Amino acid sequence: MKAHIYEKLMAMQASRRDVLKGTAGAVAALSASSMLGGMPALADGHSKLRAEILKIPGVGAGSPTDADWQKVGEMCLAATKENVKEGEFAGVELTFMGLNNQNLHNFLFRGFLKPWEAYTGAKINWIDLAQGDYNARLQQAIATGTVDFDIAEMGAPFEGDVCGKGLASEMPDWVKAQIDMDDYVGYLKAPVGTWDGKTYRISIDGDCHNFNYRTDYYADETLKAAWKEAGNDSEWAAPLTWQEVQAQSKFLKGKTDPLTGQSAHGYLDPLKGWGGFAFYFLASRATAYAKHPNDPAWLFDPDTMKPRVNNEAWVRAIQDVLDIMDTQPADQINADPGTTAFQQFLAGTGSMVAWWGDVGSSAKTSDSSVVGDVTGFSILPGSDDVWNHKEGKWETLASGPNYAPNMAYIGWGVYVMARVDSDEKKKKAAWSAAAHLGGKDLSLWCSAYPSGFQPYRQSHFNIDEWAEAGYDKAFIEDYLSSEADSYNHPNAAIEPRIPGIFQYYSVAEDELAKIYAGQYKSAQEGADAIAAAWEKITDQIGRESQIALYKASIGL
Amino acid sequence: MTIAAATNHDDFDRRQRTRWWMMRVVIYGMLLLWAAVCIFPIFWTLTTSFKVAADVMRGNIVPWWEYTPKWLGWRSLGLSPDTIGNVSTVREEFLKRFFNSVIISVSASALAVILGSLAAYGLSRFSYRFGFMRNSDISFFFLSQLILPPVVLALPFLVLYKELALLDTHIGMIAVYTLMVLPIVIWIMKDQFAAVPVELEEAALVDGLSIWGAFVHIIVPLVLPGMVAAFILALVLCWNEYFFAALLTATDAKTLPVMIASQTGSQGINWWSMAALSAAGILPLVFIGVLLEKHIVKGMTAGAVK
Amino acid sequence: MSIAEGDLLHTVDTGTLSPRRMQLGRVLLWASVGLMIGTFAAQALFETGYISFGFSNWRPVLFSYFVWAFMLCLSRVMIYGEQGKKALFVLPAALFVISMVVFPLVFALWVSFSDWNLASLTGRKFNGLDNVRQMMSDPFYWNAMFNMVIYVAAILVEYAIAFGLALLLNADIKARKFWRVTFLLPLMLSPVAVSWMVGKSMLEIRFGPLARFAKWLGWEQPSFFGSPEIAKLTIMVMDAWIFIPFITIMLLAGLQAMPKEVLEAAEVDGATPWQRFWQVTFPLMLPVSVTAIMIRIIFKLKIADIIINVTSGGPGGATDSVTSFIFREYRDRSNVGYGTLLAMVYLVLIVIFMTILMKVSARLVRRATGVDSS
Repeated sequence: MKAHIYEKLMAMQASRRDVLKGTAGAVAALSASSMLGGMPALADGHSKLRAEILKIPGVGAGSPTDADWQKVGEMCLAATKENVKEGEFAGVELTFMGLNNQNLHNFLFRGFLKPWEAYTGAKINWIDLAQGDYNARLQQAIATGTVDFDIAEMGAPFEGDVCGKGLASEMPDWVKAQIDMDDYVGYLKAPVGTWDGKTYRISIDGDCHNFNYRTDYYADETLKAAWKEAGNDSEWAAPLTWQEVQAQSKFLKGKTDPLTGQSAHGYLDPLKGWGGFAFYFLASRATAYAKHPNDPAWLFDPDTMKPRVNNEAWVRAIQDVLDIMDTQPADQINADPGTTAFQQFLAGTGSMVAWWGDVGSSAKTSDSSVVGDVTGFSILPGSDDVWNHKEGKWETLASGPNYAPNMAYIGWGVYVMARVDSDEKKKKAAWSAAAHLGGKDLSLWCSAYPSGFQPYRQSHFNIDEWAEAGYDKAFIEDYLSSEADSYNHPNAAIEPRIPGIFQYYSVAEDELAKIYAGQYKSAQEGADAIAAAWEKITDQIGRESQIALYKASIGL
Repeated sequence: MTIAAATNHDDFDRRQRTRWWMMRVVIYGMLLLWAAVCIFPIFWTLTTSFKVAADVMRGNIVPWWEYTPKWLGWRSLGLSPDTIGNVSTVREEFLKRFFNSVIISVSASALAVILGSLAAYGLSRFSYRFGFMRNSDISFFFLSQLILPPVVLALPFLVLYKELALLDTHIGMIAVYTLMVLPIVIWIMKDQFAAVPVELEEAALVDGLSIWGAFVHIIVPLVLPGMVAAFILALVLCWNEYFFAALLTATDAKTLPVMIASQTGSQGINWWSMAALSAAGILPLVFIGVLLEKHIVKGMTAGAVK
Repeated sequence: MSIAEGDLLHTVDTGTLSPRRMQLGRVLLWASVGLMIGTFAAQALFETGYISFGFSNWRPVLFSYFVWAFMLCLSRVMIYGEQGKKALFVLPAALFVISMVVFPLVFALWVSFSDWNLASLTGRKFNGLDNVRQMMSDPFYWNAMFNMVIYVAAILVEYAIAFGLALLLNADIKARKFWRVTFLLPLMLSPVAVSWMVGKSMLEIRFGPLARFAKWLGWEQPSFFGSPEIAKLTIMVMDAWIFIPFITIMLLAGLQAMPKEVLEAAEVDGATPWQRFWQVTFPLMLPVSVTAIMIRIIFKLKIADIIINVTSGGPGGATDSVTSFIFREYRDRSNVGYGTLLAMVYLVLIVIFMTILMKVSARLVRRATGVDSS
């Protein structure tokens, strides 16, 4: 089977190269049209390859295994072969630092890179870190000069720490061509991934929070009737604004879940910290209030780094959480985001949750999901009014509710460390390995199967490809468009890539826990405590440099 | 009169017996209760590794009756019957870490028992003076190492190990773990030696043995159970250590607990593989516990009461 | 290090040592000192750029320390003969600990008086007592301190349970080995695994067996981490579950070593079981109890793994231990300077606490039994 596919692939590759030898104009025309979905001759062989990849192991065939990863890695090796001769990196040893996230991430990479290692002759050593250890380990490595890895899987929020200190290697042009960077969705293009105008990052993931809700709640006649009976004029439908989310959550208290027959719950707030990651969930509630279309900043004042986390918009978001705390499942105070998404929402508890794309991609494929057929997606809810921070007042926009999807975390990328720069062969090997992982076709597979990575290229949003692979077309269209609409939203709230951003989140989580536990008199008082702690961190890291980096990261 | 007395006596006897039986019931009842408390979590871990998601979500407890065991958890480690023959990176990783754990924790425990026994023997037999420090101060100095919260030492150790090129080496990890368990070994062994009458060595010295000869030939065999007890305790602590393992290792010397911690993350928790990994991580110790339990109690008995 | 008078084990020096041997011993010792200082100085000069040749790392300095340590041991024997051999018992452990601890502690002290955020571009800045001032007004730290007091106090309950279990195991029962092994098992488990399989899986409020058990008992909405009090209790129970076997085993060892005649004598005297326990067993067990509780306190003072994994200190810091709080400050916020100061202060506090505790308990034991337990 494997050899058979491999031969087929080789044949396809040959034909592709033949075509490439033809006129450049034709190629350009062809690739341009392929963007529009019509797949002509050249792209045909290619699309076959993509279709083949998507059939490994097949939708509904259970979780992919080692053999599958290796097969995919082998099938996607063509791009590497164009730039690297067989055995070219014999004797090169590289160290790769990444996550072991439930035996995905680094283990996936191992599988993908095995054929690459066999072809190029290089050898890769692996450093696997638990997600919770990642930040600390990276910071300590930088601070003590113990950077002992050549390639790192890293989130964009850490770019300030790594690229800002000159520890990363600049991306060579041949890599840019090999991975087709133009294909990235809008918000992943520069300035994300760049620092001082130099490109460092190979994206392997796109991240944003989208809104997941249960469609069966809105199809349920009993709930519909009860909603009318409660004196609501509006339609019983998926909420478009946080105001509606709040109203529906309060309404659902004491009702019955149409799927499980257990008690119904509305929006699920994670009330427990998650090593800094739980702050994103408050941010997702706050962006619609705090991110004004005319102002790129929403977390800090760009001129002074004064935190905005205690302005009226953020306090309102915190208050929203407090307002529906009594509608949450029991013990919610001990629920972190992993719990709300995977143990609650996917398991049939709660009707709405904001999360990264994992919820959507797991809804159908995960063994633990019971809501695959009743999940709908949209971008994060908006707000009827938005806080204008400069004017200091709430505004109602003429265009209707204000939407501001939260581009939380900006996704994982692969970075090559500057320590390989002194050795040309090693540098090329490192970049080749990284480019293999960030390859266009490989990424399609990653976004379709459990891998921990989301779609992040324009070419991932070709619904037909997914449908052909066996996905339910309506479902995948709903899911993918919620992602694409978030990525391409003009008022998207982009996370600042400043050094130590997770320190801000981490300290905010501690204070939020106190707020939720009722240890502050009001949401405002708690928010003021967060702001005070943030000021301290800013002073510690250096206010001037933070201001400069913050401005750069939001494009000011 | 006599008859009445006899009946009374019978009565008393019966009451005694009832009481005795009641006591039996209470004792075994409590034993059973606590045994359940001890075993159930381990049973839960083991069985969860054979569950699929639906079984976890339903909270099924009894295998074969409430659910059919599946190999899901073990398959994700490449350790199920159908994957054992195939290449599996996860299994390779698991085995590598497993053997690293074995090497590091056994070596560290052995080293700690050797160093600790020597020191404990010295402290229990001779009076030392080191500057202002006398025996009790030296003992406390060793003990205070146990008090040290590891988090204090994190960054210094990172710097120290980097300069000594000991990062990510077995030797480096063995040294840290030895340091970590040395105090408790010294504590246990001091009690052990204190319980051995000095006359034994004095007799041996009179017979012409040197101090060291007496120590090796007379004392060590006597306190061997204690040494085993100390070794096992040290082993348990080393085997389960997480903090330094996460900090000081990268590729060559990494150990098992870090891998268990990685079973959670942005895709929720795979209970079955978490359980399989936890089970695989605790089974060796459980096995050792069952095998050597006798020595632990015996080892601690010697110095327990004076 | 020299040997003072008052050894428990008296030895007789046989023969005198030749002056040549003693001389050689001193020479070797000082030569190795010279070598160590020389290597250290050379490497330091190389690292600071004063000289251009040196080693790629400090390992040779470590080796020269080993040479010195070896020579120190050797010279003890060469200079002091039999007396010197006694020093050999304690020296290896002492040298090992010193080599591993002195540098890190000095470094930690240096770090703790500085403003050092790992993300800062400017690196470490000395800031005097600022960290101390910040600590004084840090509600999280003192909250964690307060929690530690409660956690430590809970050891008395653990001790009572463990004593009961030890008595059970020491009673006249069948299959004693089975019960002992079973009771010992929890001690073997890794805190990380316990956090997940017990803290998160068994206590899961919907499908967790303990939650279902609680529902069956009539607790309608079981919530093990919902309120501060219950969350604290749950953490204490989980930690106790791991460590009760440890106390039990130590107490059991004590019970088994107890002279049977004493108890029998008390029984003949007509004492009730209750009296026998309080007047005979308990006082006799006091020394071993103190040791067990002491070790347990030390382990308790370091409690962190379970809290970090299960509650992250929540809700609202109710379950935070000092170590778990420092852990967040240090690892999640890379606030190394402040975090290290907190840890150093904690270290000083617990050293003082333990010293007092040991003195008090030693006196207590002496008064109760007339035996010194140190």
